[in-house]
Amino acid sequence: MTGKNGPPPIHVRGLRKVFRQTTTGQAVVAIDRLDLTIAPKEVIAIVGQTGCGKSTFFDLMIGLEEPTEGSIMVGDKSPSSDFDYFRGKMATVFQQDRLLPWRSALDNAKLPLELIGLPEEEQRERALTWLNKLGLGAFTNAYPHELSGGMRQRVAIARAFSVQPDIMLADEAFGHLDEVTAAELRDTFLALARECGSTAILITHQLEEAIAVGDRIAVFGKSAKLLADIHVAQWDARDYGTLREAIQLTLQTQQADARLARG
Amino acid sequence: MPPKEHAESVPVLTFPRQTLVSLLVFAVCWEALSYLAPYLGIPPFAIPSLARIAKAITTITPVDIAVTLARVIAALIASFVLGLALAMAMYRSDTLEKYLHPMIRILMAVPVVSWILFAVLWFPGVEFRIGFVLVVVCGPVFLVDTLDAMRSVPRELRSMMRSFRPTSIQFFIKLMLPAIVPTIFTSWKVNISLAIRVVTIAELVGAVTGIGHQLSVAQELFSVADVFAWTVVLVALLFLLEAIVARVEHRLLRWRA
Ligand SMILES: Nc1ncnc2c1ncn2[C@@H]1O[C@H](COP(=O)(O)OP(=O)(O)O)[C@@H](O)[C@H]1O
Ligand SMILES: [Mg+2]
Repeated sequence: MTGKNGPPPIHVRGLRKVFRQTTTGQAVVAIDRLDLTIAPKEVIAIVGQTGCGKSTFFDLMIGLEEPTEGSIMVGDKSPSSDFDYFRGKMATVFQQDRLLPWRSALDNAKLPLELIGLPEEEQRERALTWLNKLGLGAFTNAYPHELSGGMRQRVAIARAFSVQPDIMLADEAFGHLDEVTAAELRDTFLALARECGSTAILITHQLEEAIAVGDRIAVFGKSAKLLADIHVAQWDARDYGTLREAIQLTLQTQQADARLARG
Repeated sequence: MPPKEHAESVPVLTFPRQTLVSLLVFAVCWEALSYLAPYLGIPPFAIPSLARIAKAITTITPVDIAVTLARVIAALIASFVLGLALAMAMYRSDTLEKYLHPMIRILMAVPVVSWILFAVLWFPGVEFRIGFVLVVVCGPVFLVDTLDAMRSVPRELRSMMRSFRPTSIQFFIKLMLPAIVPTIFTSWKVNISLAIRVVTIAELVGAVTGIGHQLSVAQELFSVADVFAWTVVLVALLFLLEAIVARVEHRLLRWRA
């Protein structure tokens, strides 16, 4: 439920996350001193190579992991220490649909609404509204195994939006679908995020997807540090080819690229 | 509406032709043996004719069936509740798990006969003895099965669930319990057959009602016909209970492909 004042800003300060590998005991620095500020209602894409710490950042953002050092603040609250505060305020879409196989599409979509304790009738109504928005009106009673991959991901998106979250996070949510379906679903997702007035954080390893998303692109280097922070609006649409090449080069050399420093 | 072509194959007690044939062959052999027994030097009471067995079956007292059935069901419910509650506690607390796990392994290794002797030596009441033996035998099976099942709930589903910030109760009720329902059914089926076999042994000691007691009376009277009749009842009872569980399972697990 978006608060009256809209979603709060997100401040990431000196964020570090170090894992200790169970077998070798070796320390793995997944995120190294990351600073990032995300404005309310901003739609930001985070792009980086596989293994650079994007999913770790995602887990820290939703509060399932604690920072080793530094902090993530959403408004004046921390997603991990003020875990319960964010019930109904943050929602997630994952790479796999992660639907509960024993629940119908409708019951999956209303899961987060059950958790915030909405009256049964309202749960149903809201879940149905979102399933309809995602074009699943005819499949509300279908079980996940009766739906295609794209449809299942639609249910997962409906589930995430059903609480009308302040902050919407997606981790490689479209990567496993075919290109056409992925593009279609991504557009729907973005339109809904804007309609809801949510801050949206889209994590991807695909440059095309990052550029398609819009407002802003954060480029993560290995051991997630910020290589570049691009405000796409400042680029001419004809320049996207250059932008693409510049990001690619940045990722390859793993060094912040001077050409990207427009913002 | 989505295409939903569930082949509604409700499992019931069916007897395919092969089953009937093999039962028939057995009956014929038994009957032949019962006639030939005197010539083979087998005492006459050892292999009663089918007619005598049929007569024995008509003298079956329903009250004993009801008593045994009630004991089995009550003990299974108690075992299930205890096993599941402990499994949930052990899932949440690694420390508890580390302390209890070896004890449970030991419990499961103790022979049923030892439990019956312990029960007789420790407890005065017959019902309590029988209940104790059944629970101590079936409870750990429920516990181990459900704990294993909780452990194997996919990480992905657990983190999805946690990302929506449920209370611990919601986490169990909306994720863990439904996820382990298939295992719960398997566990019930295993335990029903275990309980039916154990209850009769437990009833041999001290009970004055129940199928086990009737079996021991039949043994004292050298009545193979009665033993046979009660055994048939036990087997039928087991099949019936299994069929009921299978029906409920089929209803509840419709979501499976
Ligand atoms: N729970 C964990 N324990 C140990 N190492 C981990 C854990 N999670 C992630 N890592 C390591 O952190 C790094 C970043 O992983 P991840 O965030 O999944 O990357 P990405 O999502 O960008 O592909 C990888 O080297 C990975 O092996
Ligand atoms: Mg990842």
